[in-house]
Amino acid sequence: METTSSEGQVAAPAAASPTLFLRNATGLVKGWSGFDAFVYSFMSVNLVTLGMYYSFTVFGWVQDGSPIAAILVTAVAMTFLAITYAGLVAVMPRAGGDYVWQSRILDGPPGAVAGAVTIGIGAGLVAGALGLAGVAQLAVGIVGAIAGAALGMWRGGIGFILAATGWWLILALWAPIYGAILNLQFVQPVAALLGITDLGPLAGQSGVFIVSLIVIALVTGLVALGMAGYARIQRASLGIGLLVLVVVFALMAISSQANFQAAFDREAQALWGVSNAYQTTIDVETTFYGAEFPALDPLGFGPGTWLLIPLMLFWLLYPNWGATLYGEVRGAGDFRKVLIGMLGGIWVATFLAIVFVLLSAKTFGWDFFQATNVNYLDPVYAVEGAPDPVIPIWSYPMMLGAFLIDNRIIQIIIVVLAGAWFLGWAGTLFLSSTRMIFAAAFDRILPEQAARVSDRGVPWVALLLIMIPSVILSYFYAFNSDFVALTLDATLVIAVTFFGSAFAATILPWWKKDVYQNSPMARMHIFGLPLVSIAGAITTIFLGWVLYMWIVDPNGLYLIGVGNPNSIIFLGILYGVAALIYVVARLYRRSQGVDLDAIHAEIPAD
Amino acid sequence: MRIFFATDIHGSEVCWRKFLNAGKFHKADVLIMGGDMTGKAMVPIVQSNGGWEVTLQEQRHELHREDELVAMEKRIRDRGYYPIRLTRDELQAWSADKALVDARFKDEMLRSVEAWMALADERLGGTGIRCVVSPANDDMFEIDPIIDRAEHVQLGEANTIQLDGFTLVSTGWANPTPWNTFRELPEDELRTRIDGLVATVPDRQRAIFNFHAPPYASNLDAAPQLDADMKYVAGGQALVPVGSKAVRESILDYGPALSLHGHIHEGKGAVKLGRTLAVNPGSSYEDGVLQAAIVDLDAKKGEVKRYLLING
Repeated sequence: METTSSEGQVAAPAAASPTLFLRNATGLVKGWSGFDAFVYSFMSVNLVTLGMYYSFTVFGWVQDGSPIAAILVTAVAMTFLAITYAGLVAVMPRAGGDYVWQSRILDGPPGAVAGAVTIGIGAGLVAGALGLAGVAQLAVGIVGAIAGAALGMWRGGIGFILAATGWWLILALWAPIYGAILNLQFVQPVAALLGITDLGPLAGQSGVFIVSLIVIALVTGLVALGMAGYARIQRASLGIGLLVLVVVFALMAISSQANFQAAFDREAQALWGVSNAYQTTIDVETTFYGAEFPALDPLGFGPGTWLLIPLMLFWLLYPNWGATLYGEVRGAGDFRKVLIGMLGGIWVATFLAIVFVLLSAKTFGWDFFQATNVNYLDPVYAVEGAPDPVIPIWSYPMMLGAFLIDNRIIQIIIVVLAGAWFLGWAGTLFLSSTRMIFAAAFDRILPEQAARVSDRGVPWVALLLIMIPSVILSYFYAFNSDFVALTLDATLVIAVTFFGSAFAATILPWWKKDVYQNSPMARMHIFGLPLVSIAGAITTIFLGWVLYMWIVDPNGLYLIGVGNPNSIIFLGILYGVAALIYVVARLYRRSQGVDLDAIHAEIPAD
Repeated sequence: MRIFFATDIHGSEVCWRKFLNAGKFHKADVLIMGGDMTGKAMVPIVQSNGGWEVTLQEQRHELHREDELVAMEKRIRDRGYYPIRLTRDELQAWSADKALVDARFKDEMLRSVEAWMALADERLGGTGIRCVVSPANDDMFEIDPIIDRAEHVQLGEANTIQLDGFTLVSTGWANPTPWNTFRELPEDELRTRIDGLVATVPDRQRAIFNFHAPPYASNLDAAPQLDADMKYVAGGQALVPVGSKAVRESILDYGPALSLHGHIHEGKGAVKLGRTLAVNPGSSYEDGVLQAAIVDLDAKKGEVKRYLLING
């Protein structure tokens, strides 16, 4: 809704009768730009940093899957996630995201159900990872379910556990992942193109650690300095990133596969002294996988497509990452604006992804594209017997595209400017964590010192609370190969948080009827059912299925499920720490005479 | 002594009713309303073809029965808006004449504050619960005498109020905003006003400040940055401090036990400034949620014993 701040002016389209009269008062603003919501959403479902590395590298692992169909189905599912979150924003605009939505909605029986399901299943899985089986494992699961139900019955309990893990604790693991991406997409290719073969301390494991520390310092500095300046950087990054992407796409479109093969062989020889690299890559991986990689079927829907969908979420899960603050005197228009921003992020990224896949198949050759990615990825994930990488760094697609121009300076410019995708994406890494820590401190779950700010407004305690675990996990990530296999836990934990919010959205119209009825969502129905509930239910079911796939991992594809006890134990520690913090806080505050139940207890109006 | 502090309910009828009930519900001795009580918007309900039409949150409603009309008016009031029954001719006249709108706004604000004070007298009489209401920058001056006349409500603005060994001083004046509202002062004049209030306090460490504007750069004053067109920068993610430097400096200079603030609805929080606990409970009045702070004070030690920020 476009409102005005001028006294007595109306807040309706000029041609229509006024539907609202506003007076001059603090906080009335002319709304906000839907483009901002798009920028946040689009940069969060980041085609280059996340998509190209975490989702598109694994097509070779599921050879009977159809990449384009998997991308499209995932985008459709994320459309319902976007409706769910836009709905929650419209109902509780200042709530501050998942933590408060879940704290305010998931109490009593729904909270108990959410707690029993998440903690019960988690406890059973951890018991299994620790070697328990049968009745013993079941007993641990039941104890976990009872404890989870008790936590859920407490107002705010399950909300804190799911949000603290998804918006705070797991972001410590994202720090080294960001570092790894910066290494793969900037440091290593730029160094290679500059002819630097010895990166010194930036090489290998120490390089991952050092770059992670650089990323931590960068994102900490951005939060400390304030996000206003970063918003400009993000917009500039979007423009530069899209421009570079269009250039690379254009190069791919006008070049033949033979051109690319020659270019790749030329550069592999020049940069790393590897001859006939293109065909060698295909040959070694065809031998290892025992079959030729299939051609791309753009319209296919092979049986492996369902296995690919959970992998696509490592990229497409985050359209709702930003934009939770909206103005007063709002209406259904704000819901639409938020939704359009998120849908823009999802579907523009999806369109570009499909173009990328088609162009890769045409120019790189689909067999080569799959082969070169698994050739790099298999050793990273310690796949047994995997052949050594033909070239020593990942075949970063922007670099491959740049190879089509036989000019080193232009190649370097393309790869450096493509770094805008990272710059415009990484800056908000710690922002959400600090806000989550503040919210928990204001709710007296964390010590009040956690919300302390310096005289210049820098939230240094909250930053330390996220920096310290980030540095520790970065060390393990860099120097412990088992830890790299936990990478995708970073997405799983966030999906669990979103699962909780989707469930909360589903029950919202009935469980928090007054708040819902007082919102612009109250009149939005499909087949007589609340839109937010339908979208929430679909999202809950979808995320539930994805979580099942990740955890059960029937094909050993995702590497973070029951086949990887380290992953389950790591997840158990995360949720255990969050639960422990909450229980200790309850008991400690009770000893101080502070009843945390009072935080969300509704005062009767009459 | 337990204080229940809420602020910035901006005309929300349901929030005011919750506020009045909060004393019993949370066993508070004193209720303090930090100001910005009056609404920001009027919603016309237009007579049409024997019924009524109204658009709320961009959703058009047709109402045919009196009970539907009354229910809609309650819904509008609970959001903090004023429902106004108009004929279509009156609506057109209002559209063309800003003075008509301004006059009705004033009338509605004064009438609602009158009704709220009557309700306060009705609910608080005989309970022993004290209630202090201090208008703030979005409240017109004419509401002050209405509050002052209420039997069971004390006017906070510019008055020194003794509360179980503590002294409450209040002002709803704020540092300048982009909206140029009723009670705004440049920082130096605001500091002078505060100094004048504090001069009446016998023991400054046993003072409770009830200053609407939050202290500058305290995190209680983080508001979305606006551009020159009054639109949010970066979708509201870019937060900047907009509080008062005079308020901050006075807290640090005088060191009261407690400092209560509002003004910035997104600035919910509690921070220590020197020895002072400064709180801003924030506001979600449009949702019908009463955000508030419950603060227990130790009269013997003259300090805050415990506090909790709630969504009631």
